[in-house]
This record gives sequence, structure tokens and C-alpha cells, in this order.
Amino acid sequence: MSLKQFLNEVNGKERVEGELIKAILYSLLVSFGLFAILYYFSLRHIEDFIPKYGFFIFLVILSYAVILPSIRQVRAYQNFACMSGMMIGMTTGMIAGFLPGFFIGSTNGMFWGSVFGMGIGIFIGVWNGKCCGIMGVMEGLMAGFMGGIMGAMTAVMMINDNLRIAGVVVFVISSLIVFALNYMIYKETKELPRERTEDYTLIVFLSLIFTALTLFFMIYGPRSVLFA
Amino acid sequence: MKNGFAIFMIFLMIVGFGVILMKSSGNASGNAVIGGEGSGNTQEVTLSFKNYNYYPNTVTVNVNQPVRIYLDNSVGGCYRSFTIRDFGIAKYLSTPSDYIEFTPTKTGSFRFACSMGMGTGTLIVK
Repeated sequence: MSLKQFLNEVNGKERVEGELIKAILYSLLVSFGLFAILYYFSLRHIEDFIPKYGFFIFLVILSYAVILPSIRQVRAYQNFACMSGMMIGMTTGMIAGFLPGFFIGSTNGMFWGSVFGMGIGIFIGVWNGKCCGIMGVMEGLMAGFMGGIMGAMTAVMMINDNLRIAGVVVFVISSLIVFALNYMIYKETKELPRERTEDYTLIVFLSLIFTALTLFFMIYGPRSVLFA
Repeated sequence: MKNGFAIFMIFLMIVGFGVILMKSSGNASGNAVIGGEGSGNTQEVTLSFKNYNYYPNTVTVNVNQPVRIYLDNSVGGCYRSFTIRDFGIAKYLSTPSDYIEFTPTKTGSFRFACSMGMGTGTLIVK
């Protein structure tokens, strides 16, 4: 049964799937480390910082840790069939747009949440989708665009209606979708050799950039009228 | 399990930072006010905007006595489109001097909200 094989590979050392857990760990280490440093030197002086932003920062850091390892998995095999590449571009674009859009939308409003979510979603969607050519790129582009707007819109609509619980639900479901994507990539590539071996520099770099950008935007970025 | 240590560290970080960062914020809003006397017998209430909601978001008024509700300058966007479904009220209050006026004819607790249901509160009629 391939799901069982996939889970075995996640604990293995030979294929890229065995590096997914470590990629999550490094992403969390870098993001929480950066946050801890910034908090100690600067952010703790902001009034009501933890009650106001803590919950959303926590979930957005977890989100990046869940999303970024899929980039590593896609890069390891590089070329996919059109159908697989489209699914990869669509899934990563949608999830990478929806989650940041949702959390920035919760603190900065719908317009800026959408802009931020679309930016991250389109970037990751296109990057991952190009593994199968123009169709994957288009899927990534469209999914990132849609995910960013939908995430921010959902957050703003739920401001007075269990926003925090909705954030947890959205994160859990998104994590399951990304896990399913990892499994799909494994199924599609289990007979193929690994094309690229790389260290964790890219994961560390992207975690650092995305976390720093998100923190800056969330705390010092522009806000919509309702959040001013 | 070859990734056991990594999984343990992930769990530790999520729990550790989760406890620190997930401290809940204070209650959004909720002071109750009794509608103030305006001209004549009218009860006047002015709502503002605080913590992403109407403030105060619990308003107490007397039955069979006209109520006039204003929204001050801090209220913006769709929050200015004010509704009380139980009294058939839906009006866009474009300026702070605009108001809605109605006479509550039944006692109880009634929901007021913006037209999209994002800002909400309770009108208590005694």
C-alpha cells in the first residue's frame, strides 16, 4: 500500500520525503528564532503585542513550516507530467496564498491581506508550478491570486465570529491538503530517480524572508480603515 | 524512528511557543449603556468603533419610548450600514449626524449588526 510506503519514506533517509520532517524543523527553528530575537530587542515594547498579534504570528510561522517543504520535494524531482504539475501549482499557490492572506487579513484588513496573500501565493504557486511548464505556471498564478483574496476576505468576514477558531480550522485543513500533496508527489515519482540533492539553505532562507516580511507587514504595514 | 528527534523538537517548539503566543486578547467590547435622554422623550445612543466592533455593544433602552441611534466618526466602512432585523431597520448612516429612530414596542434582547454581520451587538429593551 503506497500510503504506508510513503510514511516509511518520511522516516527514511534515501528519498527527499525523508527530509520533509527536517525541513519543517529547520523552518520552525529559523522562524521562531527570528521572532524571539526581534521580540527581545524590539517587539516587546509594543503595547498589547502578544494579545494582539501573538496568535496570528504563531499560526503564520506554522503555516510557512508546512508549505515550504513541498518546494524542496518538487525541486528534488524537477520534471512532472502536466496533470501533476498543474495540481502542484494549484495546491501550493492556493494554500500559500490563503494562509498568509488570512492571517494578514486578520490584523491589517482585507485589501492588504489580499495583496500580501496574493504576492506569496503567486510567487510559490508559479515557482512550484513551473515544474511542468506553462500550464503549471498558469495554475500557480490563478490559485495564488484566488487564495490570497479568499483568505483575507474570510478573515475579515469573521472578525466578530470566532476568528481565532477559524484560523486553527483553516490551518489544520491546509496542513492536511499539503500532506496529501506530498503523498501525491511521492506516488507520481516513486519510480523516478532524484534529480537534485541540496542542503537546507533554501528552506532556511525562505523561512527567514517570509517570516520577517510577515512580521513587518503585520506590525508596521499599512492597514485598512477598520483596522487603523 | 529515524526522524524521532526532529519530531520531538517540532512538538516542543509548537507547544512552547504556542503557550507563549496564544495568550488570548482581552474581551472585544461590551459595556452596557442605557440610552440617554435626548430632546423630548427620545433616548439617544451614540455608538463608536473599538476592537473591530461597535462600542458599546450592549445597549439598554426602555420599551415604548423612541430610540435614536447615531454612529460617530470612528465607525467606518460597512459598519455604517446599520441594521436591527427584529425592528425592520436597515439604514446607511453616512455622517455622524445621521441617525436611525424607532420605537421598541416589545421587550427582550435583540441583535443589531452591520449589513454584512461583521459588527454586532445586543439591544436590550426593558
